[in-house]
Amino acid sequence: MAGVSLDGIVKSYGALRVVHGIELDVAEGEFVVLVGPSGCGKSTTLRMIAGLEEISDGTLTIDGRRVNRVAPKDRDVAMVFQNYALYPHLNVAENIAFGLRIRKEPKDRIAESVDEVAAILGLTDYLERRPADLSGGQRQRVAMGRAIVRRPKVFLFDEPLSNLDAKLRSQMRAEIKRLHNRLGVTSIYVTHDQVEAMTLADRIVVMSEGRIEQVGTPMDLFLNPVNTFVAGFLGSPPMNMVNAVVAVRDGMAHADFHGQSLPLPSLPGLEPGRKVILGIRPEFATLAATGVAVEIDLVETLGSEALIHATLGGEPFVIRHETIGHVPASTGHAHFAVQPGLLRVFDAETGMALPGQTTAVEQAA
Amino acid sequence: MTHTPEIEGNRTEELVLQAREAQRNRAASRIQRVGDHLKREWQLYLLLLPTIIWLLVFLYKPMYGLQIAFKDYSIFRGIEGSPWVGLEHFQTLFGNDQFLRALKNTVIISAYGLLFGFPVPILLALMFNEVLNAWFKRVAQTIVYLPHFISSVIIAGIVITAFSPSAGIVNTILGWFGVDPIYFLTKAEWFRPIFIGTGVWQEAGFQSIVYLAAIAGVSPTLYESAVVDGASRWQMMWKITVPCILPTIIIMLIIRIGNILEVGFEMIILLYQPATYETADVVNTFIYRQGIQGGQYDLAGAAGLFNAVVAFVLVISANMISKRFSRTSLW
Amino acid sequence: MNNLNLYSRGDRLFVIVNMILIGLFALSTLYPFIYIASLSLSSGFEARAGNVVLTPVGWTIEAYKRVLSEPMFWISYKNTFVYTVFGTLMSLAFIIPGAYALSRPQLYGRRFWNLMVAFTMWFHAGMIPFFLNMRDLGLLDSYFGIIIGFAVSGFNIILLRNFFEGIPQSFEEAARMDGASEFQVLWKVFVPLSKPAIATVALFCIVSRWNGFFWAMILLQNEDKIPLQVYLRQTIAELTDDQEFASTLLTANYSVETVSAAIIVCSIIPILLIYPFLQKYFSKGILLGGVKE
Repeated sequence: MAGVSLDGIVKSYGALRVVHGIELDVAEGEFVVLVGPSGCGKSTTLRMIAGLEEISDGTLTIDGRRVNRVAPKDRDVAMVFQNYALYPHLNVAENIAFGLRIRKEPKDRIAESVDEVAAILGLTDYLERRPADLSGGQRQRVAMGRAIVRRPKVFLFDEPLSNLDAKLRSQMRAEIKRLHNRLGVTSIYVTHDQVEAMTLADRIVVMSEGRIEQVGTPMDLFLNPVNTFVAGFLGSPPMNMVNAVVAVRDGMAHADFHGQSLPLPSLPGLEPGRKVILGIRPEFATLAATGVAVEIDLVETLGSEALIHATLGGEPFVIRHETIGHVPASTGHAHFAVQPGLLRVFDAETGMALPGQTTAVEQAA
Repeated sequence: MTHTPEIEGNRTEELVLQAREAQRNRAASRIQRVGDHLKREWQLYLLLLPTIIWLLVFLYKPMYGLQIAFKDYSIFRGIEGSPWVGLEHFQTLFGNDQFLRALKNTVIISAYGLLFGFPVPILLALMFNEVLNAWFKRVAQTIVYLPHFISSVIIAGIVITAFSPSAGIVNTILGWFGVDPIYFLTKAEWFRPIFIGTGVWQEAGFQSIVYLAAIAGVSPTLYESAVVDGASRWQMMWKITVPCILPTIIIMLIIRIGNILEVGFEMIILLYQPATYETADVVNTFIYRQGIQGGQYDLAGAAGLFNAVVAFVLVISANMISKRFSRTSLW
Repeated sequence: MNNLNLYSRGDRLFVIVNMILIGLFALSTLYPFIYIASLSLSSGFEARAGNVVLTPVGWTIEAYKRVLSEPMFWISYKNTFVYTVFGTLMSLAFIIPGAYALSRPQLYGRRFWNLMVAFTMWFHAGMIPFFLNMRDLGLLDSYFGIIIGFAVSGFNIILLRNFFEGIPQSFEEAARMDGASEFQVLWKVFVPLSKPAIATVALFCIVSRWNGFFWAMILLQNEDKIPLQVYLRQTIAELTDDQEFASTLLTANYSVETVSAAIIVCSIIPILLIYPFLQKYFSKGILLGGVKE
C-alpha cells in the first residue's frame, strides 16, 4: 500500500507554529487536493511530505514506513514545482533524465524511460529543445515528465498550474486528471484555486491557518460544508451568507432576516431567538414569482447562465440563473425561492454547521 | 490541610524531576536535530571549509599579528616571544614628523581626489545618457572603461614617459609655447595634480557605470510625459535624471568619504621619489618604507594598525549612514 | 524619443555639443595609448628629441627587437602566465564552493559566516602583519605563495553568493528530490546556471593577477620568479639611470623611451585580447556585487 499518512504533523519555526497537528490518510492511488488561502500551511505540509521541510512533530508514513527523518531522495516521491524548476542549460530529454542520471541508472534504461515518458506526454518531438524554446504548457509537461520518469510511489504537485493562462490551465488540468487515471499513482496536489480542487480531487482537504477545516469528496464539501469558511471557500461564486434569527411559527422553524423569512428544515437546537447564518448557494436560489425579495444591482450575462448581483437588506446576494435564451432585467426587484433541504444553517457565533443536517447529496439527486 | 508536607515534598520533587527530564529530552532532541542536520548537510560544510580556513590563515591570523604594534618585535623572538612595550610605538609615531606628514598628505590627496574625481563620473554618465547614436555610445564607453583594466605599473610607465623632461609629450607641447622643459616628477608641487589627474583619467569612465545603471532604472515614462509637456533635453537632465539618481550619488559620496584613508599607494610608490616625499608620501607608503624596506616592523605595524582602525570606523559609519539613507530615500 | 528629427533646435544643438564633448573625452583617454604605441615604433633619436606626437617618426622595430631578445622578458612573461592561470583556477576553487555554501539558507550560522567574509572587506590587518604572516608560513619567494596567498577576495565571494541567492530555491529542491547530493547540486545545477557570474569573477581574477605588482615585488626575491609587471617596473627604473645602457644608445636605433614603450605595449596586449569579454561581463558583475552589502 503506497498510501501516505500524516499523524499529528506540526511545523513550527521557533515559537511560531504554522501547521497545527495535521491528521490525514491518503489511500493508495488516491488523488488528494490540499486547498486553502495563501498562508494556510498547505504548501508547508506538502513540503514536509516531500522532505524539503523538517517535520517539527508528529509522524509521517509513506507506504507504511516512517519517513520523518528520511532524506527527500529516499522517500520515493516526486514533485512538480510551481515554477517547474527546469534546468535551462539542459534540453528536454536531459531534464527528464536528470534524476535517473543522478541515480546512475544504465544509459539504455534511461533512454528507454525518457522515450516512454515523452510519448505519454506528447513531448517526443521536443526532446532536443531547451526549456527557453518551449511554450508554457510544454514546460509544464516536461516538469511532469521529470516526475513520472522516476516511477515514484507518490506524486506531489505544488501549485503546478498557477503560472499558466486560464485556457491552458483548464487544458492541463484535464491532462493531469487523465494522467492520474492512467498511472494510478497516489497524488497530493496543492492549490489555492478551488476550481482545480473540485475538478481534480478524489478528496479535497480544505485548510486554513495551519489546520484542516474539512476533508471530503468535492460534492460532499460543496453540499455539506461543516462551517462558513469551507462554505465560502468552495464554489464560484461563493455561497451567500445571510444573518438570521430563528423563529417558530405554526410549529415550524423559520429564519427571519431583514423583515423576510424562509422556512428551515427541522433540525435539533433551533430554539426561537437563536442567531444563525443561512448559507444559500447561488445555484440553489431560483427566481420565482414570490419568495424572498431582493434588489437587483447588476446582471452579468455568461451565455448559458447569468449572475444576478443583488442586495438583500443591504448585503450582496448572488443568484445564478439559467438563462435558456432569456436574460432577466438588470434593475428592479426579484424574488427567489430555495428548497429547505438545500439551505445550510450555521451557528452565528461559531460559524459551525448545525448538526443533523442531512447530506444534501441524496436530496439533490 | 489534608496532605502532609512529606507528600507535598515528594510531589515537588516529582515535578522537578519531570521538568529535568523534559529539559533533557529537549536538549537531546536538539542534539539529535543538529546531528540529523550534519548528517544530511555535511557536504555543505565541507564546501565552506576551504574558504573559512583560507580566511583564518591569510586574513585573520595577520590580525592576531597586529599585536606587534604594542611589542618590541624582533624576527628572532617572533610575534609571541617579543616583549610588550605598551604604547611606545604610537608615542614615537605621533612625535615623528614623517608620519604626521604622511597622515596629512593622505587626507589632502584623498580630499582633492574627491573634489575633482567625484563629479566627473556623474557628468560622464549624464552625458552618455544624452548620446543618441548607439554605436557611438558603445565605442566611447569601450574606450573610457579601458584604463581601469591597465596595471598601475603601465599607467605609471606612461605617466613617466609622457612627463619626461627630454622626450615627454607634455614638455614637447609646452615647448611649442616657449616654456622651458619642466622635470615634473621631481617637483613636489606637481605631484598631486599629476597623481589625481591620472586617477581621474584612469577611473572616471569605469566609475560612471554605477550612475549609468541608476539612470537606466529611471522609468522612461517620466521622460515621455516630460516631452509631451514640452521640456527640453537640458531641462529633463536636471529636472528628472539628476533628482532620480541623487540617492545613488549621495550613497557613493558617503562611501567615498568612508574610504578617505584608502589612497592608491601602489601608484604613489611607482611615481614618487625622495624629492617629492613632501607632498606625495602617504601613510601606506610610509609603512612600506619603514617596515618592508627599513625592517622596523613594529613601528610600521603600529602605523598600519592606526590606519586600519580609523579606516574601519570610517567605513562602518559610512555604511551605516548610507544604509539609513538608502532605506529612507531609495525605496 | 531617439529620433533627432523630432527635436527642437535647442535640443539638437545640445545633443551635438554633448556628443563632441564625449568624443573629446574618449580621445583624451585613448591618446596616451596611441602615443605610447607610436613611441615604441619610432627611432630612438626622434623619440629623445621629443618629436613623436601622434604617429611614429622614423619607423623602426629596433625597440621591440631589444625587448624580445631579453631572456628576462620571456621568463617574466611565462611567470605572469603561470600566476594568472593557476591563480585564477585556485580562486575559483575556493570561491565557487564557498559562495555556494554561504548562499544556502539551511547553513547553520549563515549570518556569522557571511559576516566573517564581509568583515575582511572592512578591516584588513595591513601590509606588515600580512607580510610577516607570509614569511612565517614560508611562502616568501615561492610560486605557490603568490598563487594561494591572494586566492580569495571577499568582494568576489559576495558577488557570486548574491548571484547564487537569486537562483530560485526550487532548482535546488528539485535536484535534491531527484537524489542529487550537495556536490551534485552545485556542480550540475548551480555552476551551469551561473556561467555569466562565474565568468565575471574569473575575469576579475585574471585582471588582478595579470596586473598584480606590489605583493609580487615584495614577496619574490628570486629573479626567475618575478612576473611581468615587476620586470617592467625594474626595466623602466633601470633604463632611466643605467649608464651602460645609455652608452649603447649612441649606436643603437632605440632609446630609453622607445624600449619602455615597447615593453608597455607587449604587456597591454593580453588585456586588450580579453577586453571584449571583460566588457560583456564586468558591468553586470559590479552591479551584482554592489547591490547587497
